[in-house]
Amino acid sequence: MSTSPLSRRARRWVLLGSLALSTQPVAATPTPAPAPTQTPALDQTPAVRLRQPQAATERLRDLASQRAFDYRQAPAEPSPQDSLWRRFLRRLFGWLGDLLDDLLGRSSAPSYEGFWRWVIYGLLAAAVIFVVLKLLEVDLTRAFGRTPRRMALAYETLGENIHELDFPVQLRAAEEAGNFRLAVRMGYLALLKQLSDRALIEWQPDKTNQAYLRELASQRPALRPAFAEATRQFEYVWYGELAITPTLYAAVRAEQFALGRQLGSGQAVPS
Amino acid sequence: MENETPFHPTAPPETPVAAFTPRTDLAQLTARTEAVRHQIGQVIVGQQDLLELLLTALLADGHVLLEGVPGVAKTLTAKLLARTLDVPFSRIQFTPDLMPADVLGTSIFRPAQGDFEFRPGPVFASVVLIDEINRAPAKTQSALFEVMEERTVTQDGTAHRMATPFVVLATQNPVEQEGTYRLPEAQLDRFLFKLNVGYPTLAEEIQILQGHHGGFGGTPLDKVQAVLSAPDLAALRQQVGQQRVEANVLEYIAKIVGQTRAHKALYLGASPRASIALLNGAKALAALRGRDFVTPEDVQFLAAPVLRHRIMLTPEREMEGGTADEVVAQIVQSVEVPR
Repeated sequence: MSTSPLSRRARRWVLLGSLALSTQPVAATPTPAPAPTQTPALDQTPAVRLRQPQAATERLRDLASQRAFDYRQAPAEPSPQDSLWRRFLRRLFGWLGDLLDDLLGRSSAPSYEGFWRWVIYGLLAAAVIFVVLKLLEVDLTRAFGRTPRRMALAYETLGENIHELDFPVQLRAAEEAGNFRLAVRMGYLALLKQLSDRALIEWQPDKTNQAYLRELASQRPALRPAFAEATRQFEYVWYGELAITPTLYAAVRAEQFALGRQLGSGQAVPS
Repeated sequence: MENETPFHPTAPPETPVAAFTPRTDLAQLTARTEAVRHQIGQVIVGQQDLLELLLTALLADGHVLLEGVPGVAKTLTAKLLARTLDVPFSRIQFTPDLMPADVLGTSIFRPAQGDFEFRPGPVFASVVLIDEINRAPAKTQSALFEVMEERTVTQDGTAHRMATPFVVLATQNPVEQEGTYRLPEAQLDRFLFKLNVGYPTLAEEIQILQGHHGGFGGTPLDKVQAVLSAPDLAALRQQVGQQRVEANVLEYIAKIVGQTRAHKALYLGASPRASIALLNGAKALAALRGRDFVTPEDVQFLAAPVLRHRIMLTPEREMEGGTADEVVAQIVQSVEVPR
């Protein structure tokens, strides 16, 4: 189908006109199409007038007045919807804030002037230093000129403390029960206590009998043979589960007794 | 004074010395092990603790891993110990290209018979020295799992049993050395002891030099003779098995091993196999020291050799330069000796 040259020209102008309109703000009212022979200047564009229907404006105002659409931060007001716990926390923090304000001498604005300021700085610095030292596992006892302490034993592993045992009572009970094995053990532990009391050995629950023997040998060599024999007998009876007769027990106790007397008399054994 | 009360002996005491002697005859065990010590002592200077621990492992039927820098006589010590035993011996040099079949053996097709025949590898011996064990990759190491634990090699569905005794003595350089691999944990757990071979003392080194200066260095192995046969060793092991272990000492072992599973510096603790190793080792050590019962001293002495290769430090502790021996020492220190 063919079209006339006149209608093609008219359509071209319509197209140009619509393109020019698309670069301008949408007007509330239709503007007359520009004359096809001249292009209107920008400053001559008519002012835009927004269309504000009455119903829409009222609806917008209604929504803005609702609490759900109020995004401004306002101080929390206790409301009947708040739980008892939330109200308690709010009061507690308010009270703490007032207390700190009083302590720091603040009136309205935060201020750290005065003595308390330095106290807080000091406490913070001490806390930081403590945490760092703990993380580095630094033994602080060295800083005060003490010898580094040994790792403390887990307390639950300490079954017995020889310094708290009542040896005479325990010995008598074991003998009366005919439990000579236990009696030998009690006699040996009493010897260890005596050695410890006289600083000839350093009592530690993790040390073996041979360790004590070495300590004693370095402190008082003359006592070594007697203690070595007492240790051997104890180990045979206790660890070796040697069946011990009353006669054998008498011999063992005699050896323990003799060594105990040497230690208890305070007489220096020639070394 | 605690020991003055309450007992006062009325009868003259019998001589206790006779009563406090081993109830099982350990004379044979002492004589045999002393002979082994003497033979090795002709060549090796010092290293008394190492020698005692090697003999302990031998009596406890355990494998030993010797670790140390090159040149501290690890291989020589292992070869000497093997030489004192009158049993088949083989040596395998582990290399990066070693294959499992090179160790265990392989099945060869026999065209005439139309079947396969198993050709045993060098692991089929009573004493196997694996030199530089950590120079082979994990694939080859895993070939040793079965033979070290179960004393069998399974090939083509057939289990081939090892002879008795079967002892693996392996040497390795520290993992920091060039061209070495870290052994898998499962394999490390199969070694009874890991022994660190250190440098000799000044006096020992002078003695070594004097020996070499006097023409000692030629063929030292020729001096050493076999003094312990397989049946003898089996009899000694039977005696070790009869050692007494008091209930509190058993608990002591369990507590020490249990602490490795709770220590903050470790992320892998020791398995129950370690407890058994510590028990067996302590029984053998007590026998070597002339006692028929185990004391906490034996347990403490063996704690590091038994546990050091079975535990793994946390990365943090490793970065701080901590060692497994330090942690084991801490653990031993934290457990009360039963008394």
